Amino acid sequence: MKFSLPRQALILAALSLLPGVGQAIYFRDKISWQSPIPPSEMVGADQAREWGDSTIWIDARPDNEFARDHVPGAILLNEDRWNELLPQFLAVWSPGKKVVVYCSAQSCDLAREVAERLRKEAQLPDVFVLEGGWEAWVKKNR
Amino acid sequence: MRFSLGNFIWRIVDLIIAAIFIYAGVLKALDPVQLAHDIDHYKILPWTVGVGLAFYLPWLEIFCGLALIFRLFYRGALSILTALVVVFLVATIAAKVRGLDITCGCFGHASQNWSFPAHLALDLGILAALAVLCYCSVARARANASPMPTSS
Amino acid sequence: MKTHILTLTLTFIFCLTARAELKWEQTAVELHPVRGDKQAIGHFKYQNAGKTPIHFKSVHASCGCTAAQSQKDQVGPGEKGEITATFTIGDRTGTQVKTVTVETDEALNQKTVLTLKAIIPQELEISPTFVFWKQGEKPDPKSITVHAGKDFSVKHIKVTSSSPDFQTKVEETGEGQFKVDVHPNETNRLLASTLTIQSENSPKTFYATARITTAPTAPGAPAIQKAPGAPGAPAGPTAPARPPAPGSQTR
Repeated sequence: MKFSLPRQALILAALSLLPGVGQAIYFRDKISWQSPIPPSEMVGADQAREWGDSTIWIDARPDNEFARDHVPGAILLNEDRWNELLPQFLAVWSPGKKVVVYCSAQSCDLAREVAERLRKEAQLPDVFVLEGGWEAWVKKNR
Repeated sequence: MRFSLGNFIWRIVDLIIAAIFIYAGVLKALDPVQLAHDIDHYKILPWTVGVGLAFYLPWLEIFCGLALIFRLFYRGALSILTALVVVFLVATIAAKVRGLDITCGCFGHASQNWSFPAHLALDLGILAALAVLCYCSVARARANASPMPTSS
Repeated sequence: MKTHILTLTLTFIFCLTARAELKWEQTAVELHPVRGDKQAIGHFKYQNAGKTPIHFKSVHASCGCTAAQSQKDQVGPGEKGEITATFTIGDRTGTQVKTVTVETDEALNQKTVLTLKAIIPQELEISPTFVFWKQGEKPDPKSITVHAGKDFSVKHIKVTSSSPDFQTKVEETGEGQFKVDVHPNETNRLLASTLTIQSENSPKTFYATARITTAPTAPGAPAIQKAPGAPGAPAGPTAPARPPAPGSQTR
């Protein structure tokens, strides 16, 4: 059975969709369609609030932004003064705590970088990035 | 099919082009998460579009490459591959003309460090080969369509 | 059909060529700051190849650690200029990619993303940088792996504990690779120490932290005594480091 050129192209395009969709399902935990941070490493403001006292909030923004305003009880930990600030954070961390890192907004990379360093270098479990960042927290809480 | 040098060369070019696209597709399909990040790195496409392309494009290349090898949906595969290369070329040239430093990452993360001239040369070479294959395909279709001359 | 596609493609390319105005020498710069550098500066040169002036609407960096500055607000036809991106390294490590988004009033291409990639040399790579014991846990040694970064040759390292309550032992496990075993004298009190790690031929100091953390308490269990030096006070580099006790070994 001979197919016309457009039909051949359409069939090939449709066939290619199948493994693509399969991979998208397989990798759904490793990549989010909304943001470069995988879903397993993100947490919404509501969920983080539900964790209550077992949450440690980390502010990854520069010093001046933290000084202006921050999540109550948040600890400043940015890469500008990582060596100085890290021990201060570790002093309040204990096993079982959930660490939620935020920076200014969803598009900001600072929180993701700080979270990655905490996971890779300090090898801490349960480190998350706040979905929507400081902007989202302010919207929910103020 | 009668053996001729022309047919033989046609088949070789078929296989080379198919191998290039299958290789490129497999490299990218092995790590679509990294590919999505590589696409996002240039901040041209929205993240969601980049993720969609990262999952879809490698398989399109693989299937079209296989179609060339097995001569199934041959002309359809040729059209898709030609369209892909033309889009890559136009995007690369347009970006370069605007002063943007873009490499198409045809071979995924492996080709990140290739220079613009290297990418351009490869894309033009592939386009030329595809043009040859299109020509051969059309010529063969015409030859099959015209009736054989009868001898008196 | 093929002729139409070719014509269309060529027209598209030609149109873009004819209308492009702000031309960049390069939009991606890779920097290799050396040890001791506090900043890495990228220069993005441009020229207005068009016939009308171009006005910069905004120049902003993706991160507060990068300051981006344009030499001028407006570029006349034929004029050249430069955008300088200054990336403050701080305590960052590895490959850092920062972007600067430039918005102009060009008709065709209003936004350009400039990429600054800084490869920060890391002399020593330490993993993990934090070891801990839960209160009451057996004070068994825990290991920290230290190895020389790419392009660095490290023959010896010196490890100092800021607290005599923690002991360290360094062992060379391969060329440029070391294993640092750390253990506390006891885990009943909430203790902490900053481990200062230095290679013999470099003034740069690296840090790791060792701590006794609170164990999750069962309901009704009595509260456990804290160490007299409250653990809330940072045992970081800013606190004066105590000289290593005779028991802690260095190499």
